Amino acid sequence: MVQRGSLKLLCGLAFIASCVSGQWLNYPTPGIPRLPDGKPNLAAPVPKAADGKPDLSGVWRIALGPYTLNTTNDLKPGDVQPWAEALAEQRRENLGKDSPAAHCLPFGPLFTFDPINPQKIVQTPNLIVILGEQLMYRQIFLDGRSLPADPNPDFMGYSVGHWEGDTLVVTTAGYNDRTWLGRGYPNTESLRTVERFHRGDFGHLEIAETFDDPGAYTRPWTVKVTGNLMPDSDLLEYVCNENNKDLPHLIGKASDLKGVEVAPEILAKYAGVYAGTLPSGLVVRFEIFPSGSELWASLNGGAKRLLTALSNTKFVLPQLEFLEENGEIVALQYSDVGANARLPRVRENR
Amino acid sequence: MIRQFTLISMVLATTVSAQWLNYPTPGIPRLPDGKPNLAAPAPKAADGKPDLSGVWTINYRPYSSNIANDLKPGDVQPWTEALTKQRQQNLGKDDPSTVGCLPFGPRVNFAAVTAPLKIVQTPTLIVILSEDLTYRQIFLDGRDLPADPNPDFMGYSIGHWEGDTLVVATAGYNDRTWLDYAGHPHTESLRTIEQFHRRDFGHLEIAETFEDPKAYAHPWTVKVTGDLMRDSDLLEYVCNENEKDSAHLVGKASDVRSVEVAPEILARYAGAYAGTRGGRPTRFEVYASGRELLFSRDGSARQPLTPVSKTKFVTFSGVQLEFVEENGEIVALQYYGAGFGGPLPRVREGR
Repeated sequence: MVQRGSLKLLCGLAFIASCVSGQWLNYPTPGIPRLPDGKPNLAAPVPKAADGKPDLSGVWRIALGPYTLNTTNDLKPGDVQPWAEALAEQRRENLGKDSPAAHCLPFGPLFTFDPINPQKIVQTPNLIVILGEQLMYRQIFLDGRSLPADPNPDFMGYSVGHWEGDTLVVTTAGYNDRTWLGRGYPNTESLRTVERFHRGDFGHLEIAETFDDPGAYTRPWTVKVTGNLMPDSDLLEYVCNENNKDLPHLIGKASDLKGVEVAPEILAKYAGVYAGTLPSGLVVRFEIFPSGSELWASLNGGAKRLLTALSNTKFVLPQLEFLEENGEIVALQYSDVGANARLPRVRENR
Repeated sequence: MIRQFTLISMVLATTVSAQWLNYPTPGIPRLPDGKPNLAAPAPKAADGKPDLSGVWTINYRPYSSNIANDLKPGDVQPWTEALTKQRQQNLGKDDPSTVGCLPFGPRVNFAAVTAPLKIVQTPTLIVILSEDLTYRQIFLDGRDLPADPNPDFMGYSIGHWEGDTLVVATAGYNDRTWLDYAGHPHTESLRTIEQFHRRDFGHLEIAETFEDPKAYAHPWTVKVTGDLMRDSDLLEYVCNENEKDSAHLVGKASDVRSVEVAPEILARYAGAYAGTRGGRPTRFEVYASGRELLFSRDGSARQPLTPVSKTKFVTFSGVQLEFVEENGEIVALQYYGAGFGGPLPRVREGR
């Protein structure tokens, strides 16, 4: 699994030979406005395509946040139909081993919410193609066609788009029901999404996506994320099937893990903020909240999740381990699929 | 493996679900009777270059089965030849793309699974999309090939125009793909040069030169044509969704050779069998030679068939063929291939 970030890390830490192999990622993107010091001017005005529309073309990385591969973060219990809630619970109980990601299947409606793999928008007047680093793509037809009445359900769905002022509005139907919307929450074939893409300035793309699935939820909801332009770079091929070693390790059930109880006074020591950068270059920030005999975590401002204790210092999910030095908790070791980092404790207000 | 032709050939209810594939392609020149004029001149892009954009069905035979079809024995280095034979002995069960669901890499222009291809052209970048959801990028912005590219499946491609021909050079392939169903290998030294020429509105000529000095004695060029697929589009195919091949691909060619079929029975199978396979016409020629049965598909080199029973045979790539008898006559060849199965009636030639 060669990830962009780990390659960069190799460049920094290991032999020069490893570094050279990735040099083509540094090819300067043509047409980028520059500041006097040569750095890209990401606040410059939005470029226009030949047809006068805003040009969304470029390599974009979605900012990490509460919606990272999880569009259901803001849903409340009444928003989810009982069968869908039960299915999500069952999938979490199985620790996500049936997730499409574990089987190297396309993310489908979550394609936009993958912050690890940058996306490249290729815009032509009649067709926009969005390429994913995982060597998958989606097409958005802009030639005026309507959505098909009865589309053949597939992973990426069938997308049509049009411009409303400077905003590209994309409607997608025809998703299959094999993808997850995050945390095990399902979608049915009734799912429709409406995405609004707006390039705020040269370096930033705002995406608001509305999910409407009357087969599983009681109301539509909207999730907003921001894409940051990756200048002078490109996609680095990543093929999930090439080296999928996750599956044999994804065993057990969440309820099996519930054996360990940690004393409240130990949990209290973990309260605080831990932040750092993953090998992929993503900045992550965990807030840890002890509550009696429970420990809760929030990632980058997302909803609080209950952690399960494996020992006095180790918790899941994700795998977190509190590191003690000289009697003080100094860092949080974070381990997830393709991500492993020591996140130092943030000494706030001290 | 859901492919377009299966949808169309199945019941009406299924066909309806694929109706969006019938959206008329804008900008097709038409004859007075309304039919597409495929002999009209190739369209131009806004920058004056030929516009290669469109969905193209590649006539990949016989090179899909054997990329070295036009090569002579000395053109292939001994280790390459030996590895290819070994892969055939294993009945193609190690095929990284069809069985392992990995990208087709340098084989993408010649594989049934990736066809048709959709070309999306902009002045500085061309993207080629495949039905298996993979894509490749061709940079036209004047950059050079990287000196030491990070090897990956699709390689690193740059292109430029020579007159009306797009010339694409690719390097940086990894060595994990095969060049064809026969299992011809390549190394990371592989470089390809493709020449794309849109002869007229409806036809694309592709000449691809393979140069891999570590596996082949000299470069060679393979030529195929693409037919414009009108009023249609790519239909998503996700290999991982329903990969059922690998469990069935067991054994070795040498294991199944226990069956011997009498020469007089084999002689009855000789002849031509033709029909539609994968929505396209196909023709098998079967040759009996003593205790051996050989076949050639669409003019490709002859390959041996391994008998499993008196009527059933397997090809080197694990495809099963069965000769169908009716009233004492061999009337058809039944073909069992992933998504491509079907009977091919015997051609009664010269009778």
